Formats: sequence, C-alpha cells, structure tokens
Amino acid sequence: MKRTAAILLAILLGSCAKSDGKTHIYLQRFFGECGAEYGGSTDIAKAEGECGIITTMINRFNAENPDIQLDVNVVAWPGYPQLTAQVAARDPPDLVTMHEGVISDYAAKGLVEPVDGYLRAAGVSPDGFTEAAKQGVTMYGHIYALPWDTHGGLFHVNTALFAKAGLMRGGKPVLPNTADELISQARQFEQRTGKPYLIQSNVGDPAFAARNLYTYMIAKGAVLFPDAHHIRLNTPVGVEVAAFFRRINAEKLGSQNMDTPGAIAAFVSGEGGIYPTGTWMIGSFEQEATTPGRPLYKNYAVYPYPHLWGEHVEFVSGHSWVVPTRKRTPQQRDAIARFFKFMAAHNYDWVRTGHIPAFKAVLDDPRFKALPHRADIAPLATIGRPLPSNVQRQNAIEGIVGEEAAAAFTGQKSIPQALAQAERRVNDLLSQID
Amino acid sequence: MAADLRRGRLTPLGWAGLLIGAAIMLAPLIWTLLLSLKNNGELVGHSEAALHGPYTLQNYAAIFGNSLTLRWLLNSTIVALGQTAGVLILASLAGYGFARLDFPFRRTLYIFVLVGLAVPSQAVILVQHQLFAWLRLHNSYPGLILPGLIAPFGVFFMTTYMRGIPRELDEAAMLDGASRWTIFWKIIMPLTVPAQSTLAVFTFLGAWNDYWWPLISATRSDMYTLTVGLAAAQMNYAQTSGLGYLMAQAVFASIPIFIIYIIFQKQIVRAMAGTAVR
Repeated sequence: MKRTAAILLAILLGSCAKSDGKTHIYLQRFFGECGAEYGGSTDIAKAEGECGIITTMINRFNAENPDIQLDVNVVAWPGYPQLTAQVAARDPPDLVTMHEGVISDYAAKGLVEPVDGYLRAAGVSPDGFTEAAKQGVTMYGHIYALPWDTHGGLFHVNTALFAKAGLMRGGKPVLPNTADELISQARQFEQRTGKPYLIQSNVGDPAFAARNLYTYMIAKGAVLFPDAHHIRLNTPVGVEVAAFFRRINAEKLGSQNMDTPGAIAAFVSGEGGIYPTGTWMIGSFEQEATTPGRPLYKNYAVYPYPHLWGEHVEFVSGHSWVVPTRKRTPQQRDAIARFFKFMAAHNYDWVRTGHIPAFKAVLDDPRFKALPHRADIAPLATIGRPLPSNVQRQNAIEGIVGEEAAAAFTGQKSIPQALAQAERRVNDLLSQID
Repeated sequence: MAADLRRGRLTPLGWAGLLIGAAIMLAPLIWTLLLSLKNNGELVGHSEAALHGPYTLQNYAAIFGNSLTLRWLLNSTIVALGQTAGVLILASLAGYGFARLDFPFRRTLYIFVLVGLAVPSQAVILVQHQLFAWLRLHNSYPGLILPGLIAPFGVFFMTTYMRGIPRELDEAAMLDGASRWTIFWKIIMPLTVPAQSTLAVFTFLGAWNDYWWPLISATRSDMYTLTVGLAAAQMNYAQTSGLGYLMAQAVFASIPIFIIYIIFQKQIVRAMAGTAVR
C-alpha cells in the first residue's frame, strides 16, 4: 500500500511544472526511441543511425547549454496526427521534426511560424542552404523551417550481379542514359543472371511508384501542379512515363508483387540488380556490404536515379525543424535560435545517416566526401526538385498518386484510366481546401 | 465428432483435427516469439534465421532500457482497469434500470443508447477532442479513461442479460421488504457475474489495445499508454531493419493480457460458455 502511494505521489509530482531555473523547450520528433543505447551519450561521432545520432545531438545540446533544457517527446512516425491534435488543443511543442512537403499544410493556416528571425539570431544564412533544401522550406515569401537534410530516391546497385551481367566498366556499374538503354540493359541483365534488373516495391508502398512517376515527369518538363488546387498527370508525358514502367513489368524486367520489406529482403539476398529506394537505406545496405559472407559484401554501389530523358532532375523531399505558433518568452525564442545554430553546425553529423546535407558547406566538407558513396550521391542536392511549396496535402497526394501509378505500372488499370482517376481524386482533395 | 464431443470423448481423427487447428493458431505466435529473440541485423533479408540459434534477449533489454517503458505499462494498467471498473458499474446500473424500472421515455432512451452502437468512434473524435481540450483533460488519466466509459454495447449487454433473470426473484425480495438497491446489489448482481466477467474481459482488452484516442489525447510521452509508447519507440522501417525489436514489442505488450488469461482462464471460459448458452 505504501509502495502504491509512493508511486502515485511520484506520478503526481512528475506531472507538476518544473522549476529548475532553466528555459524549457518542448521538442517533438520522430526517428524512434533508443534511450537504452544512447540515453546518456554525448559523443556524436560514436553514434550510429538516425535515432542514435539525433538522441546524442540533443544530449550534447543540453550538455553545452546548461541554461536550456530540451524536453523531448518521441512520437510514432510521422507524428502529424499528434501534432494536429496538439495544435487543436492549443498546446503545440516548440520544435518539431517535419517533412518539407508537409510544412505548407501548417504554414498556410499560420500554425507554424516563419523562422527568418530565428535564423538571423542564430547567424544561419539561407544562402548557405542547398538549392533543394531552400526550395523545400521557402513558401509565401518566408523561410518556414530549418532544413535538415534532403532525401530522395537512389539506384542501389548489386555490383556482383552487374559484373555477371557484363554491366561493369572500370569498377563502376554502367547505368543507362536513355529509356531504351535501360530496357536493353535490363534484358541483358535478365538473360545473363536469370534475375530481375529492378527490384520493385509496387505493393503497399505508394511512395515508390509516386517517386518514379514524379521524377521522370519532371525530367520531361511536366508541370505537375499548374496551380495550388490542381494536379496534371493524364497528359502525353504522364502516359509516356507510365508506359515505360508498364513495359518493364510486362517484360518481367522488374520483380513482381513485392512490398517494401520483401523488396529490401530480395535486394540484400542478391535477388536483383537495382533497388530504387531512398537515401535512408544506405546505412543498412552498407552494413551488408561490409559483412563477409553476405551477398552484398564488397558488391554495393549507389547513385541518384539515372538520366533517361529531358533534364537530369529528381523528385526529393527533406526533413526539417519547424516552430509551431504559440506564445513564447524571449528566453525561449533565444533558446530556439541557439538550437538552430547548434543543429546547423552539426549537419555533417546528421548526414552520416545517409541523407544529403541541407547546407552547401557540408556538401563540400572533405569529411562528407570521405563517407562511403557520398561523392556518388551528392549530386542529388543540386538535381533534387521538391514539389511546389504552395500545394498542400502532399502526403495524402503522394498516397493517391502512388496507388494509381502502381496500378498503371503493373497493369491492374489501363494507364489513361489510372492517371485520370489519380487526377480526379487529388483534385477532389485539393478542392476541399479553402 | 459432435456426438463424440457430447459423450466427452474424441476419436483419433478428432484429436488430429484439434492438433492441426492448435498448430495453425500457435504458429504465428511462436514465429513472433522466435523473431523477437534474434538480432535485428540477422533478420534483414533472412527472417528464416529465426528458426535456428543463436538467440538473444537484446531486443527485450532495449525495451527495458527505455526509462519510460514501465511508466507506459503503468499508464495502460491504470487506464484499462479504470475503464473496466467504470464500464461495469455504469453498464450494470443502466442495464438494471432499463431491464427492471419503469420511468418516462425508457424505450426512447434505450433506443438512443442502441443508436450509439451504430456510431463509430471516429465519427465523433473531433468534437470529443475539442471537448476534452476545453476541459483541459488531455494528457491526464481522466482524459484517457472517460471516453471509454461511453459503452452502449455494455448497457445493451447487461440489459439483455438482466431481462433474462426471472422477475419473481425481485418480487420475492420486495415481499421481504428489500429496497431497490438491495435487490440490485444482493440479488441481481451476484447472478450477473458471468456477464460481468465477459464484459470485463472485452472492455479490458479494448482499453489495453486502444491506439487512436491515446495517440491524440496523450501527446506527452510520460502519459503515453503502452501501445502508443511502443509505436513511438519504433524507428522508421522497423519492419525490416528492426524486425526483432518490433516482435519483442509485440510479445511484451501481450504479456499482461496473457497473464490475465492464465489467471482467470476458468472464469473466462465459464463466462463465455454461460453467455453463449443463455
């Protein structure tokens, strides 16, 4: 009974406001919880993985700023239902991790603050952002977040299978320069290895198909969003891009009926040549590539999506830090600016995760270039193109477009039917926004 | 086989059928347990590695390494027990009222309660959230428990059950001078124990497994329930690069429920069987 009372008292006291003389900042993030391994760590260089690095960086910030306490709230990915609920309850956090494509949903309603003032106070110039990062956080004439990285699709390559297929030159995989070249290389690969050239996660992974459609439509100069309330996919360019991926599936040059875990498992098991997935998988695949006995051991390379036609550009997004609108003391505003300064100064540490830096200086940093594969994927920072920042609901739109595009690519629907349905569903969604 | 069952015996074919059924039911549970005992790295691309050693407890150590895990466990226990107790009290009282008492608009009110069965919780989540925000009840135990007390199924269930209890018992007690409360508490309630047990099990399970409301009401990590906390602790792509940890979380979250089943197995089976027969 006494023990129960003590526990209840501890809970009660734990709920009371803190009065330790520190400026408390309520930080909310995803990337998971790894307090067991990194709870007390402040050595950023020794941390690994998204969770380990972000946890250690926050610990380090708290250690270097004894007058500030970052109270961390880890949310289930991606955390937007919780954030929206917090905003509705008028109790949002002070700092939140946010995908750049989502910022406009909140910025349009004034639910997040422009951060120009915080950046000035921190001495962080937007001119130092990479072009992709700057585009991702700029809207309505203001900077709405501290960009944190750029992430997008990459061609993860099994070089052992590429060698078997005769597609290696000078120790590097030969990637196509045109759509026809990709088809012919894929046929050669399939004939010589008996395995699919592309590993595809067309099941339950709408981001996969949407990424492919967006990237190669933008490359052909398509304007996906003519205005903030309309998408345009059912065009000759859209049909041509979809027909290209349909052809890959019709000729069985890509794996069939795989979801994301299935596709990842297939790639690390050496069951296909290329897995087009994101920057976030580099760490896991590199681990396979450095583990003796595994199919990818010393046989892994990674590059941005190849140029197949038009301009060499690629659809990208990025992680960022936003500041939800609420009343704050000058001390809290100063603490947020100091946090921005700290995070900008440690952008290199974050991009060890596999993401592309949000700062030009880090792109040129010899330490970054020395990281495995980073020199090969660094062009993503310049060829990356985020979706227009004035278009809201990009998460939901990606889900719809990806679902319909996958149906078109795999032949479940005719291409014009799938693209028309994607257009109609997205335009219906956007028409509901004031 | 049905005849054999009635006689309390099983033929070899019946045994075989039961064993196959049990194996089908147990296979995913055993698979989950085996995966939870493997190193995450080993499972990337090779989940069949779970079929052989070496096994490790590192995923469970990682769960307990998070200082908030026990707090989430405590929160879930408080919320689940609070909702279960509240639903049993309210549903029993309401059930008795609808089953035994005559009062104005009784039928209308009962229909109103039944309509609640047809309203999905998602349909009212926005106004419910706003109401709790206005009352400043988010990130609190009342905020997590109170919505679960709206239990039209519980009221319907207890009303139906109590209607099946002969009215003669009430009348006999009244002749002996018992008050309404005495009849409810000393005559009717003991007879509804099987129904109470069933309702308690369903309510506890529902509260324990609830995810949606705690996700948006408990937005501070020290007020998370176990379901929300464990989900928050997952890294992106947990199903591939953290499969062992994910499965350890699933096993860990189900252990309290498993223990409850073990302890109250007889009562639960009796309650289910009794309710089904009635």
